[in-house]
Amino acid sequence: MRRAIDDAEAVARARGGDLDAYAVLVARYTVRAHRAAFLLGAGEEADDVVQESFVKAFRHLDRFRVGEPFGPWLLRIVANETRNLTRSRRRRAALALRLATAPPGGVAADGPAAEVLAAERRARLVAAVNGLPTRQRQVLVCRYFLDLSEAETAQVLAWPLGSVKSSTSRALNRLRGLFVPDEQDRVANG
Amino acid sequence: MADQGRWRSDLESGLRAASRAVAVPPAPDLTGAVRQRLETDARRRRHLPTLGSGRSHRRLVWRAALVGLVTIGVLLIATPQGRAAITGVLRFAGVELRQGRGPAPAHGHRASLPGEQRTTLAQARHQASFPILVPAALGRPDEVAVGDRGRVVSLIYTRTPHGLLRLDEFAGHLDALVFEKFIAFGHVTRVRVNGSTGLWLTGPHELVYINDAGIPVSASARMTTGNTLIWGTGRVALRLEGRVGKAAALAIASSAR
Repeated sequence: MRRAIDDAEAVARARGGDLDAYAVLVARYTVRAHRAAFLLGAGEEADDVVQESFVKAFRHLDRFRVGEPFGPWLLRIVANETRNLTRSRRRRAALALRLATAPPGGVAADGPAAEVLAAERRARLVAAVNGLPTRQRQVLVCRYFLDLSEAETAQVLAWPLGSVKSSTSRALNRLRGLFVPDEQDRVANG
Repeated sequence: MADQGRWRSDLESGLRAASRAVAVPPAPDLTGAVRQRLETDARRRRHLPTLGSGRSHRRLVWRAALVGLVTIGVLLIATPQGRAAITGVLRFAGVELRQGRGPAPAHGHRASLPGEQRTTLAQARHQASFPILVPAALGRPDEVAVGDRGRVVSLIYTRTPHGLLRLDEFAGHLDALVFEKFIAFGHVTRVRVNGSTGLWLTGPHELVYINDAGIPVSASARMTTGNTLIWGTGRVALRLEGRVGKAAALAIASSAR
């Protein structure tokens, strides 16, 4: 059985031209990279974007600094490829995100009614995220849909850290503006 | 305000919950496809074409804005040693020289800088943020190209005693890279141009444009033609490329005004 190798070792060996070692990284990061490409706007072309990103990442492994995490470094390439795709097609980077028909988690602990309300709230939030300007949507996708830290988001989007913080705040404020009346209505009508 | 923090953390956890419910198609298994692409790359790398010979000079135009990693030397690329990890990096005037393997050249279409357009010298001067120098030894260029919204300006000379020459110019104070070159450092020597340091690179190498986000633009990757001289004046950095000897290149460089 093959011994599992960690990212650093896989990168070191891949730099020397070891394609088996690189395959380990491809297998390990495909799901994350694909989710990022899809959510950042690649939509149905996420497969192509991710394949291209892995090829480019391999060609530029010499730019990877030893000791840095591989994931955000790869996602930066994925984000850039996604941007190239959406830019070249002159279409909105937005993909209208949709909720899965059967959200994971099943029925909430406090009963079916609470689950219906929670599902409504999720649907409204996703619709609101879809309606945000591109940059605000991107920063929310990175921070909350891809679970990246502010620093990682800055790296992936190639933005200054300050822009990540300010765009996040603007986006959240905007969502709050959309939400508060709704929540109040619900309370008032409930 | 406590309320302030409260709504924000509520919203953040709401977003995280919503993200788990967003429909994302299943990820494909890409290990085979990626491996196949990389193996094809490795084969193609042994047969890198050089630019210029037998090709329309128009193909050269795209190369202007390459932020350049140039892998010098097909020999370097073709040998296992050449594929080994980078052993040295040298930065000079917006250009990074790396000893080692470069990216695969663009294929299937001519390499080009992002948004590269043919223009006139006057319009290029209007678009560029740096002064455009013209070597008196060469006179007015036959063609002018502007790449990446004025970040790189290329003067193309199609009829010189040395054949086709290309002069790429970009801002000289950049901390950011504009080109990367992959080259064996044995092919690089320091020279003096108008009292300042320049670099003389012998032989073809691989050149790549690096955009202002610091990301190499693979569509720009190409092999250079002939030799290359890189120098700067403080406000502008220049890269002269073509089948020109060292003495002639230095004479051209020192005549740039």
